[in-house]
Amino acid sequence: MSIIGKSAGRVDTAAKATGEALFSADLTLPRMLVGKVLRSPHAHARILHVDTSRAERLPGVRAVVTGTDSTQEKWGVFRYTQDQAFLPSDKVRFIGEEVAAVAAIDEETALEALDLIRIEYEELPAVFSVEEAMRPGAPLIHDTNPGNINVNVKIDVGDVEKGFIESYYVTEGTFSAPEDSYFQAEPYAVVASFDSSGNLDIWMPNAGPHLKSKPLSNCLRMPLNKVRVRKITIGGAFGGRSEISPADVVCALLARKAGLPVKIVYTREENTVATRQAHSMIATIKTGVDREGHVIARDITCHMDGGAYSSTGPIAVSVPFLCMEQAYRMENVRYNGYRVFTNKPIRGMYRTHGRAFACGVDLQLDMIARELGIDPVEIRLRNARRQGDYTPTKSLVVSCAMTETIERAADAARWKEKWGKLPPFHGIGIGCNSVQTGFPMGIRGGSSAFIKFNEDGGATVISGVVDNGQGNENMIVQIASEELGIMPEDIQLITADTEVTPSDPGSYSMCETFVGGNAVRLAAKDAKGKLFKFAARALEAKPEDLEARGRKIFVKGEPERSIPFARAIRLALSKGESISGEGSYWPKVDPRREWVENPFGQLSETFSFGTTIIEVQVDPETGLVDVVEAWAAQDVGRAINPKVVEGQFEGGLTMGGQGGMLTEYHLWDGGRCLNPDQLDYRLPLAPDMPKINSIIVESHDPAGPYGAKEAGMSIAMSAAQAYVSAVCNAIGAPINEYPLTPDKILEAIENKNRKG
Amino acid sequence: MRLPPFQYLLPGTVKEALDMLHAHKGKLCIAAGGTDVVNRLRQRLLTPSYVMSLKDLPELQGIKKRKNELLISAGTSLREIAEDPDVCALFGAVALSAGLVAAPPVRNIATLGGNILQETRCLFYDQSELVRKAALPCLKQGGKVCLAQKGATRCLSVYQGDLAPALIAFDAKAVLKKAGASRTVPVLALFSGKGKQPFTVEDDELLTRVAIPMPKGRYGASYEKLRMRKGLDYPFACAAAFVSLSAKGVIDRARLVVGAVGPAPVLVEEASAHLVGRTPADADCEAAAACAVKSAHAIDNLALPAAYRRKMVKVIARRAINGALSGAGA
Amino acid sequence: MAKIEKIRVTLRVNGEEYPLFIAPYLTLFEALREELHLTGAKESCGRGACGSCTVLLDGRPVRSCLLLAAEAEGREVTTIEGLGRQGALHPIQEAFVSHHAIQCGFCTPGMILTAKALLDRNPDPTEEEIRAALSGNICRCTGYKKIVEAVKAASAKTAPSGAIKTAPGSGE
Repeated sequence: MSIIGKSAGRVDTAAKATGEALFSADLTLPRMLVGKVLRSPHAHARILHVDTSRAERLPGVRAVVTGTDSTQEKWGVFRYTQDQAFLPSDKVRFIGEEVAAVAAIDEETALEALDLIRIEYEELPAVFSVEEAMRPGAPLIHDTNPGNINVNVKIDVGDVEKGFIESYYVTEGTFSAPEDSYFQAEPYAVVASFDSSGNLDIWMPNAGPHLKSKPLSNCLRMPLNKVRVRKITIGGAFGGRSEISPADVVCALLARKAGLPVKIVYTREENTVATRQAHSMIATIKTGVDREGHVIARDITCHMDGGAYSSTGPIAVSVPFLCMEQAYRMENVRYNGYRVFTNKPIRGMYRTHGRAFACGVDLQLDMIARELGIDPVEIRLRNARRQGDYTPTKSLVVSCAMTETIERAADAARWKEKWGKLPPFHGIGIGCNSVQTGFPMGIRGGSSAFIKFNEDGGATVISGVVDNGQGNENMIVQIASEELGIMPEDIQLITADTEVTPSDPGSYSMCETFVGGNAVRLAAKDAKGKLFKFAARALEAKPEDLEARGRKIFVKGEPERSIPFARAIRLALSKGESISGEGSYWPKVDPRREWVENPFGQLSETFSFGTTIIEVQVDPETGLVDVVEAWAAQDVGRAINPKVVEGQFEGGLTMGGQGGMLTEYHLWDGGRCLNPDQLDYRLPLAPDMPKINSIIVESHDPAGPYGAKEAGMSIAMSAAQAYVSAVCNAIGAPINEYPLTPDKILEAIENKNRKG
Repeated sequence: MRLPPFQYLLPGTVKEALDMLHAHKGKLCIAAGGTDVVNRLRQRLLTPSYVMSLKDLPELQGIKKRKNELLISAGTSLREIAEDPDVCALFGAVALSAGLVAAPPVRNIATLGGNILQETRCLFYDQSELVRKAALPCLKQGGKVCLAQKGATRCLSVYQGDLAPALIAFDAKAVLKKAGASRTVPVLALFSGKGKQPFTVEDDELLTRVAIPMPKGRYGASYEKLRMRKGLDYPFACAAAFVSLSAKGVIDRARLVVGAVGPAPVLVEEASAHLVGRTPADADCEAAAACAVKSAHAIDNLALPAAYRRKMVKVIARRAINGALSGAGA
Repeated sequence: MAKIEKIRVTLRVNGEEYPLFIAPYLTLFEALREELHLTGAKESCGRGACGSCTVLLDGRPVRSCLLLAAEAEGREVTTIEGLGRQGALHPIQEAFVSHHAIQCGFCTPGMILTAKALLDRNPDPTEEEIRAALSGNICRCTGYKKIVEAVKAASAKTAPSGAIKTAPGSGE
């Protein structure tokens, strides 16, 4: 391989290092207006009357929009979860919900105009927790959902009751965690501009421009080809930027009404409260094992607080279960997952969604191991997913190196020397998890790519793949470069622009390499095949005997019999043939599989598997945790760029483990979020981080591009589990409520001491 | 988010500054480093008509060592204090406390005066309008209810400044000037103990400098801070301790100060009884630290539960006393 | 409410003087981005916590969102744009790129400037000193590991060995 498997420098980072890379809030267009959104101060209220007349009359205000300016059609990720109107006119359902917006010549005027909008509300009783929302007689947030149940996913495989009867040992526990949040470095921002032909150009941080353009075209009643979501540098997504946002619609409405470009820049609070957060969750887990610690039966009930609207509800309810069933073998398993509406900000799919669920599963494995006298690594080895298995919901696992990730992580961590032998309040723990590479996404589940060539041998790759910072643009360049046999600097990229690039599922559900990368690879193969016909004639060889590498096309085994790549292109042109390549990839999933109605069948074409081991020291006086070292081993299929893959492991571990399990949680006063910014929502800092050892495991997936699957998600999730496992080992007591803030750790130590 | 509109005042002398303070009394905010004030302006917790800069006042900058005291002008940056050789050598706990504030870029512009006179903090108060407008105004905002503790009639927002406890442990004094007058008070006396208006400094007074008296004989002091992360955070518990030893090696003076327990740092007077008159080896640190617990009026208004923060007061107090004793013994 | 009159403020940025006529309540951050179109400094928190708005003031990193533009008058402001350009990257920028210390890039300008200020004063920092110096710059993507490696690598390039370190605990 010339470049696959090499840690080549990324194509996008020099511009970021110099500050030249432009994010949405950095854009300025001529005569651009400043947009600001008016938000509901009530958690639940009917909108009785909206009076914008004084705001409209304020000098400098160019447009004001309210519910009357929007179609009032309800949008939803799924046809059966359509419950959100952008700019509601009936009622508001959470503090911070958009109610109106203004566009003015400067920020001061826009802020003043917001104060001049008079809205009459009739406050309604509100609910702020799953318990309150499900209580009989609780106010309904959506009339269509009795008991405020948004989604209920039921899965029942085998015979769980029989499994428990036959189990040697059964344990049950309830695990919970409050909301956490994405805190992408870049707060949400939108710039919308209509051109003289009525085409909308719109820029915003997104995890898939094609996922944005269709809902926008619906909301704005414009044909899809006039809605152009443009390429922009994006400051992180982590699962929270795939769906249409009210800000997108509002900004476009303002721009249309004002006849001028409009920019809305969210404050950090708005990003936290008015885009997406992660779900809070309570999971009751019962696990039964045989004498050797093989899981025979598992029964889980999980309630998630989804906030005021559905978002990706069915996916959110399902994913924690699915990750677990992929990671660990179990014959009999039952799942009852509920997503419940509350009058709180909307919760979406998050990179490390389901910390209570995942940590509960693994903590139980630790407890079972202790009961049976085997060590936590051993019990995971005994239950680890294997290649060729079917998951309980009938996905075939085609490539899997879970066992290798466990063994290599344990080896690197010197587990055997440490387990049970560390000094008091010094602990080591392990977590394992697995992640889907691509959710079923209907007609948007596939990716297509085009490649065109210049006569000097350069190529332009046109792909819908989007980069949120993880390195997807570079991935495409590496793949195209390898397949075409030209250098990365010969490749120009046009990506993530709905006017120009073909559809792609976006960087959601870990599928960009597998799906988007495959499409690019196929397009390159297509172009190369066409080019080889001309090169073959020139080299007096057969096309199947040719190879391309280092800007040359040559006969395999005879590198002197070659022509430059550029010459082959000109040859084709001279014969009246303009060479281009086209490729599409649709992951082989079961099209009948549906999250709620039919949660069986091939879920995604392939899965990644990861193990994290963490070593910690706990201060028994304060409960504060010092994380000593971390080992992260993931089966990524193939590392297209090892340093980029390591970066995903390191960042994922930091978010899911260090932050997710030690310091990140939201505090509430009813429906008011009390820590919406980075001063009181504590993200890990540089001095907090342990030494991180990344171990790349490659199972060479047969379908992935060069064998690649996905990078980092199985670490992000298993890190959470490993942190809990390590801390509980350090203090010799279980903790079921997360994150592991020092007060909870101290309480667990004190409880243990009391029990003697 | 734009700051709320205000006019900017740039006095060229301290006298001019004092005249401006007087002329615009009650409608003026001082922006020294601005690291506390600008945040509150952005949140619209403050909406003054004037913001006064101290940047052109060299009299408010600098550290001077005198025979019996060290003088730190109020406009001196925290970084300068943390790095100053005299502060480090003679009042190490003060240097340490300055070096633990927030993060290096904040310490580069934050000042002594600004850090001492920072507003008290509470999750329910320190919010932007987006969050505050969805609830009634609290006591500290001039409203009638406490949002952190239902039924509370006084504000228990928390003073989380790092410098003040260390300065109080050394019995430092603050110089306050206003047009035509000047007074010197112990740093401890700057605090009212009331969350709603935490300081006894008048609207037209300017803190110009702090004087730390040179202790006599052998002494040691320590500042200890507990926070959730290894940077950035305000303390959820902190304490400073000072001990000095007589020529015979007996503790003749001891001061224990705890912070982050309520609206003001607290000098734990009863703690001295368990320390004074004993040698460092015989000192009853446990009992001294236990005295601090009574001062812990924590309520659930910060990120960690009050019950836990109250427990930590004893832990941090003991650590500070031990630190001071080792410093003296060394 | 009466409109506030603008004031004249001259800022010296990246070695050039810029006479501005701005609202007195404009922060340095806003002045750089809106008046001078230097968009390298970013806002991620609006609270002086994240460090994305970091610029150098007389060579030291500061939160430009907490400084009024007027407060920067008479002082040297350095933004990321003053450091290097593509094709002529500053060694620290080069190190960040080659060590994969950049993912989404939003925190990067602030991180690089803070690192530069560190290396200007402490040319051979330990890992602990690097982490302490960067403790006020929040990164959500990288976990900091490769950022620290990049700064260490850059220190080897920008300083002779055996350099004198600054006093411990200053966290610069």
